[in-house]
Amino acid sequence: MAVSMLPRNRQTSLPTGIVRLWQNLGPDIALPLLGLLGFLGAWQLLSWTKILALPGPIDVVMDERSRYLILHPFYYTSELDQGLARQTFASLTRVAKGYFLAAVVGIGMGILVGLSPNVNKALDPIFQFLRMVAPLAWVPIALAALRQNEPAAIFVIFITSVWPILINTAVGVREIPQDYRNVARVLQISRKSFFLKILIPSALPYIFTGLRIAIGLAWLAIIAAEIVMSGVAGIGFFIWDAYQQNYVSEIIVAVVYIGAVGLALDRLVAFIQTKIAPAS
Amino acid sequence: MSTFVTVDHLEKVFPLTGGGEYLALKGIDLEIKRGEFISLIGHSGCGKSTLLNMVAGLDLPTGGVVLLEDQPVRRPGPDRMVVFQNYSLLPWLTARENIAMAVAEVLSHLSHVERRGLVETHIDMVGLRPHADKRPAMLSGGQKQRVAIARALAIRPKLLLLDEPFGALDALTRGNLQEQLMQICEESQVTAVMVTHDVDEAVLLSDRIVMLTNGPGSKIGDILEVNIPRPRKRMEVVEHPSYYSLRSEVIYFLNQQKRVKQLRARKKPAVARHGLEKVNLEIGFVPLTSCAPVAVAQEQGLFAKHGLEEVSLVRETSWRGIVDGLAGGYLDAAQMPAGMPVWFTVGGHAGRPLPVVSALTMSRNGNGITLSRRLYDQGIHTLNDFRRLLLESDGPQHTLGMVHPASMHNLLLRYWLAAGGIRPDKDITLTTIPPAQMVANLKDAHIDGFCVGEPWNLRAAIEGIGFTVATDMEILPNHPGKVLGVREDWATAYPNTHIALVKALLDACRYCADPANHEAIRDLLARKEYVGTDRRYIHLGDPSQAVCDLDQPMREYAHHLFFGDGVNRPSRTEHLWMLTQMARWGDVPFPRNWIEILERVCRVSVFSTAARELGLMDIRYRTGSLKLFDGGEFNADDPMGYLNSLAIKHEVYIAEVPLDLPSRPAA
Repeated sequence: MAVSMLPRNRQTSLPTGIVRLWQNLGPDIALPLLGLLGFLGAWQLLSWTKILALPGPIDVVMDERSRYLILHPFYYTSELDQGLARQTFASLTRVAKGYFLAAVVGIGMGILVGLSPNVNKALDPIFQFLRMVAPLAWVPIALAALRQNEPAAIFVIFITSVWPILINTAVGVREIPQDYRNVARVLQISRKSFFLKILIPSALPYIFTGLRIAIGLAWLAIIAAEIVMSGVAGIGFFIWDAYQQNYVSEIIVAVVYIGAVGLALDRLVAFIQTKIAPAS
Repeated sequence: MSTFVTVDHLEKVFPLTGGGEYLALKGIDLEIKRGEFISLIGHSGCGKSTLLNMVAGLDLPTGGVVLLEDQPVRRPGPDRMVVFQNYSLLPWLTARENIAMAVAEVLSHLSHVERRGLVETHIDMVGLRPHADKRPAMLSGGQKQRVAIARALAIRPKLLLLDEPFGALDALTRGNLQEQLMQICEESQVTAVMVTHDVDEAVLLSDRIVMLTNGPGSKIGDILEVNIPRPRKRMEVVEHPSYYSLRSEVIYFLNQQKRVKQLRARKKPAVARHGLEKVNLEIGFVPLTSCAPVAVAQEQGLFAKHGLEEVSLVRETSWRGIVDGLAGGYLDAAQMPAGMPVWFTVGGHAGRPLPVVSALTMSRNGNGITLSRRLYDQGIHTLNDFRRLLLESDGPQHTLGMVHPASMHNLLLRYWLAAGGIRPDKDITLTTIPPAQMVANLKDAHIDGFCVGEPWNLRAAIEGIGFTVATDMEILPNHPGKVLGVREDWATAYPNTHIALVKALLDACRYCADPANHEAIRDLLARKEYVGTDRRYIHLGDPSQAVCDLDQPMREYAHHLFFGDGVNRPSRTEHLWMLTQMARWGDVPFPRNWIEILERVCRVSVFSTAARELGLMDIRYRTGSLKLFDGGEFNADDPMGYLNSLAIKHEVYIAEVPLDLPSRPAA
C-alpha cells in the first residue's frame, strides 16, 4: 500500500495549491464565468452574422460614446446629460422614497388586515384587484392625478411595491402560531407587549419576504415609469433618450447598470433579512 | 384540606363543520385539593386536553363551570399556567429571555432585581445554567421542556397545567424530567393537573388518576387514588406493592374503553330466526380450563345446532371485564363465577342492584389454593402452619390473590382461612388479580399465594413456584364453579333464546364430561383464542402426575365436573350459601328479602325446560344441606342463624334490597 501511494503523491505534489484552489472555487467561479463568456460569444456571433441588428459586446466597448459612458460614470454636464452612475442614483433615490412609503403603508395595513378578519374581508377584493394592474398602467393615472413628474414617479413605485409587502405581512400576522397566542393569553400580556414581543418577531420572516419581492418590483417599475415621463434625470429616461437618438450601444451599457443595480438591491434586502430575521 | 379547584357538571360541545355538533365532554365533576397532583388519562380524542384547556380558560365550557378558589374561570390567566406539549417557547428569545419575558409580564410589580433573581433561580432549578443563553432552536426537546417548566413555575402559578408535557421526549429524558418535575412539585407545593397517555407516568407522578371514557360524551370513568407515599423515587415506586395493581387498574380501564368502542361498533340489533328472538349473541368468558363448555359449544357447532347461529365469544382477561360487559349491556350472556348472579342482584356492582339470573351451572370444582414456594421452604405445609406464621407476624404482612369478590375462590379462600382461625383482611390482605396474572404475581413475590381456577394452580406447581395447599375437594366438594349468567331483563326479552342457550351449553357440558373427548378439549383450550397456555397445564379429569405438590406424595386432585346428576341444575341452597358468605365478609348486605332474591336468580324452570328438550329427563338433583370440610353444615332454612353461628366474620349488615318488579313478556 505504501508503494502504491508514492507515485500518486508525487504527481499531485507540485501544483497542489492550484489544484486545491480549483477544487474549491472552480465550480463556483469558473462555471459562471464560462457561461458568461459563452453568452457574450454567442451574442458577438449573432451580431457579426447580422442576425441581430444589435452591436456586439466588442462594438459596445469600442464605440466612442459608450466607451466614454463606461469610463466616466460620474461626469456632469447638465441635468439631462450626466454619467450613468449619477443617472442611476437619481432613479434609486426615487425608488427609495416610493419603497419606503410602500413599506410603511404595506406593513401597517398588513398588520391591520392580518389581525382583523373583518377588515380583511372588506379590503381583500380591492387589494387583489389593484395588485393585478401593471405598473405602466398607473403612469397616466398618476400623472393625471398628481400633475407633476416627480410625485407621479414615486406613486408608481409605491403602488407597485406595496402589494407584496401588504399581503405577506397580513399572512405573517394571521399565521402567528396558536402556541404563541396561547402563551400570550395565559400570561395576559398587554396589547403593546403582544405587538412588540410576539406579533412583530413572529411575522418578521413573512414581512421580509414581502420586502424582498417588493424591491425587485420597485426597481422594475421605476425604469418603466421614467421611460414614459420625459424630462427627468434617471436611467429610464436615459435609455429612452438614447433610443430616440439611435445610440444602441449606450442603451446596452445602461441595461447592464439596471441589471447590476437590481441584483444588488435584492441581495441587500436578503442580507438585511439574515441579520434581522434569521430563518429559524 | 379545602377544595381548590372545582369542576362542576362541565360539558363541551363543538360545532362541526357542515352543521351538527360533537359532544366532547359531559357531566364532568372533579374536586382538586391544594397541593394535589392529578393526572387525566384516556384514549386519544377522549377530551382530556379539552378538559385541561377549560380549566386553563383557553377554551370555555358550553355547560357547567370551573371554579378556582370559588371564582369561576372565564379566561386564561397566569394563575393557571400551562406547560404545552410542544413547549411553545418564543424562538427569537433565548431560554433566559423566554423566562424573563413571562416574569416581566406577570410579576411587573416586583423590582428589576427581584425579577432577575426569580429568573436565575428557576434556570438553576431545572439545571439549565449552561444553556441559558441559547435560543430554542439550539436546545434539545428535553431542554426546551425544561425551559417551559421553568417559565411556568417562575411566575408562581396557583395551578400548574401540563398538557402531555413529556409526550415528545425519548424515554431516558422523560424519566429524568418526570423525576425533576416531581421533586419541584413536592418542594414548592404546586397543585398540578397533567394530561398524559403514559400509564407509568401517571402512577409515578399522581396523587389521583382521573380516567376518562371514550367520546362522544366522555365522562370520568373512574378515579384512582395512588397511595404510594412521597417523596417518590422512580426506581423505588416500581417496588411498591400497590404499583402493579394500580398500573394494571389503569391499563384495564384503557383496554376496556377500547373494547367498549369495538363492541359498540359491532353491536347489531337482535336478529330473530328459527323461532328464537335473538340468534346473534356476544358471550363473555375468561380463559380458564373451566371455560371448556363455552369453547366446545362454539367449536363443535352446538350453538348453531340449537339455532344460535351468530354467536361470538368475547374473551375477557378478568372477571371485571365480564362485570362491566354485562352491566354495560355489551354482553348478552357470560360464563361467570358462581357467586356473581346474587352479587349483582343484591347490588355488589357499584352499589346498584342489577338482577342477573342463572339457569345453568356449567362446572364444579377445578379450583385450588396455592401458597408460594418460599412459604413451603419455611416449613409452611398446612393451614395450621400458615396460621402460626401469620399470628407470629405483626399485622397483615402477607397477601393472597383472588379473582373477584363474588367468585367462589374468594369465598372458599376466606372460608378456609377462617376455619383455620385466620381473620381475612385483619391477619392477611386479600387482593384482586386477574386469573392469568396470578402465577406471574406469585413469581414476583407480590403475593404469597392465591385461590384461582385451573390451570393456574397446576402451572405454579409444575413451574416450582408454589404448591397446592388445599383443593376445593377439601373445602366444599363439588361446589359450583362457573355458571351461566344473563341479565334478568335480557332473559325476559329473549326467553326462547335463553332456553336455547342453556340447551347448547348443557349439550357442551355433556360433551366435556366424556373422557373420550378430553384430549381434543385439551388441544382446543390450549389455543390462543381460549386459554392460550401449554396443554400440559390443562387437565380435565384425573391428572396423571403429582403436580399439586412440590415434593410430597401425590394427593387426590380435584377435577372439573361438567355434567352429571346434580351438577348443572341451579341450586338455591348453593346460591344462598354464597350470599351468606359474601355478607359474612361485608362485601354486600345480607338481604332481608333473600327468598325473593333467590327466586329471581335461580331459573330452575329454564333449566328444566332445556333439559327436557334435550331428552335428559333422568337428570336428578341433590337437595339438603351443604357439608364443609371443617364440619360446618349449611341448610337453606335459616341463613341468618347460620351467619350468627360463625365465629370469624366481618360486621354483617342486614338490609332490604329493593328490586324493580320483573317485567313480564308480552305473550
